[in-house]
Amino acid sequence: MKELITNYIINEIHGGDPDLEIAPEDDLLGSGLLGSMEMMRLVEHLEQTYNFRVAPQDMAIENFMTIEAMTNYVTRVTA
Amino acid sequence: MIYLLPHTVFSSAERFPKKTAFVCGKEQLTYRGLADRVQQLAHLLREQGVKPGDRVGIYLHRSIETAVAIYGILRAGAVYVPLSPKAPPERNAFVVEDCGIKILVTHPSQHRNLQRLLAARTQVQTIIGGRKVEDGNVTVFNWEDVAEASTTNWAPPRQVETDLAYIIYTSGSTGKPKGIMHSHASGLAFARNAVTRYELGPDDRFGNHAPIYFDISQLAYFGAPLVGATAIIATDAETIFPASLGQLMARERMTVWYSVPLALSQLLNAGVTDGLDLSTLHTILYAGEPLAPKYVRRLMETCPQATIGNLYGPAETNVCTCYDIPAPPPNDDPIPIGEVWQNTDRLLLNENDEPVEPGQPGELLIHATTQMLGYWNLPEQSASAWFHQQLPGRPERKFYRTGDLVREGENGLLHFLGRRDHQVKVRGYRVELGAVESQLLTHPAVGEAVALTLETEDDALTLVAAVVLKNDLATTEKDIITYLKEQLPWYAVPETLYLFPGFPRTATDKVDRGKVKAMLTPGT
Repeated sequence: MKELITNYIINEIHGGDPDLEIAPEDDLLGSGLLGSMEMMRLVEHLEQTYNFRVAPQDMAIENFMTIEAMTNYVTRVTA
Repeated sequence: MIYLLPHTVFSSAERFPKKTAFVCGKEQLTYRGLADRVQQLAHLLREQGVKPGDRVGIYLHRSIETAVAIYGILRAGAVYVPLSPKAPPERNAFVVEDCGIKILVTHPSQHRNLQRLLAARTQVQTIIGGRKVEDGNVTVFNWEDVAEASTTNWAPPRQVETDLAYIIYTSGSTGKPKGIMHSHASGLAFARNAVTRYELGPDDRFGNHAPIYFDISQLAYFGAPLVGATAIIATDAETIFPASLGQLMARERMTVWYSVPLALSQLLNAGVTDGLDLSTLHTILYAGEPLAPKYVRRLMETCPQATIGNLYGPAETNVCTCYDIPAPPPNDDPIPIGEVWQNTDRLLLNENDEPVEPGQPGELLIHATTQMLGYWNLPEQSASAWFHQQLPGRPERKFYRTGDLVREGENGLLHFLGRRDHQVKVRGYRVELGAVESQLLTHPAVGEAVALTLETEDDALTLVAAVVLKNDLATTEKDIITYLKEQLPWYAVPETLYLFPGFPRTATDKVDRGKVKAMLTPGT
């Protein structure tokens, strides 16, 4: 799943930028890798791919700030 | 005596040395700690040859370093220019070239975007706070270098309050961004107006949502140090996730909040305020766009103890009018912008620069100590921004032309009608786009709305609207159009309604109307 998210950010949001390196623990928002619109697109993509809905109260930093956090969150709620 | 912006920090460091000045994420600085870092950054800047009046760029995300950067640059006598790391590199390169920035203050987390900016071959020679990289053309100091710089109290350069302090570039709806120049006096005048009006003091905890390139941030950045209060800077992540933002407000026991309406409507729409203790908030202010009355009512239910104030003012004058909403709005009429606040004068003029009849719409003109010095390096546009009031035998007074249409109601309150250039003529009738939008927002399923005109193939204008629905309410385009037909004259009902998942936004979180229009225009 980490790879899927990383690839989505690089290919769908950053136009396949070959120089882009993202670590699973990078702050995606503070570093400017994602803005609010891009984050919403990514969340939608995860919902479709893993067939679940993110509850409004789950739309929080601890679940989405890093690729690591997203992976843990999605794994937990789709288990 | 406090007459330059950094005086606020040094004065509060004397009075409240151990008090927390700024909090952001896991970081915080006391007033003493902030004053030391400011002094060190100023020292380093001077060593690097920065002279009074030089422009220094700030290339930072929402972070504790923003406060150090703003005041360190000002302490050195220089002018700070906030850049948005999220903006396209070409736009930042334009700003850097336009005002001759040679030094940037940044943070290692911005490294990726910064490299893109530097690749645009700007004349930037020195980076402070960046990641050290092998690059023969640029000298880099990191934040550890700043922390090791001298804190000795050298004599700051001789400056007066009307000297240039900061330049904020507008998103520039047409053409190139314009640099709005403000003095220390104008920044301080805004902070004083706000803290006086809302009786803010050292025990207050200011919540800040806006980036530093948006003047909404100045209540926290200038106002908190002025009174020795604590400012809580929401991180980028906190501004994106309403649930986290609500938790921050409660956890930090914020007492004052000032943001764009979007932050408040998102908080209410996400339904995350239940169970949060927001009882410490006594002042909630918003500006930049209207807040629909339905949100005002819900905000009043959520925070019944708080004064809710609608502030209005273009970046050229900062806040100039305010309206403290006295009671839950009984209907869905747009919230008035109130009246000019203290130390501010205004005129309402028609196309011929004559005062309008009472109750008639006119352009709002503002004369205040918060007004800009002018636009950077644009003498003609600076000159045409002003109306010179010349009364016989009296000195001239300069009024800024806001370009906003306003009407004074029978209750003496000013009502915002829209941008002068948002008044359009369709099918031979004059339509105020803002009026169509506020009508759309009265529909329970509509979260956000934009009305605009598109050119048709035969060069006529057609009125259309784009809306973002609230995710929990089902409706169709047809429902909304039917609803509008009951509320608006036929010529003001949009011909087509488009549903958007979310609107593109400008750097200052306003709806990017230009982009919405481009997305609806075939072939672009």
